[in-house]
Amino acid sequence: MSIKIDAKDLAPDFELANTKGEIVRLSAYRGKPVVLVLLRGFM
Amino acid sequence: MRQDYCEFQERGVEIIALGPDGPNAFKRYWQEESIPFTGCPDIKSQVANRFHQQVNLFKFGRMPAIFVIDKDGRIRYNHYGDSMADIPENTVILKIIDEL
Repeated sequence: MSIKIDAKDLAPDFELANTKGEIVRLSAYRGKPVVLVLLRGFM
Repeated sequence: MRQDYCEFQERGVEIIALGPDGPNAFKRYWQEESIPFTGCPDIKSQVANRFHQQVNLFKFGRMPAIFVIDKDGRIRYNHYGDSMADIPENTVILKIIDEL
């Protein structure tokens, strides 16, 4: 069985540019719930 | 997720989708499909790997995964898909959000 992140763990923070070139930082959304989706790729 | 986007919006939820495609492909897909929520190309899947997204070489690569993160930054729900189509219904996700 491979490693998974448990529910209740603190989500690892990240900083990425979105499709508009704006920086998205996960921790900047504290105070509201976030649904994070990891896609499989379009190709 | 897109069809029910307003349901998420009404609840003040931010949706962020990360994918392994390059910035140009990602941008094109997001524009062509008019996806209303945030999408970020995740170069070399560095972030996805930190969330331990599963990779199955026999099923053509990365498996979808979804997390609900509460307002304090804690993961309250995770789902690691074991096939391309193994993604929970939006109603399941919305119910979890309502119970946070």
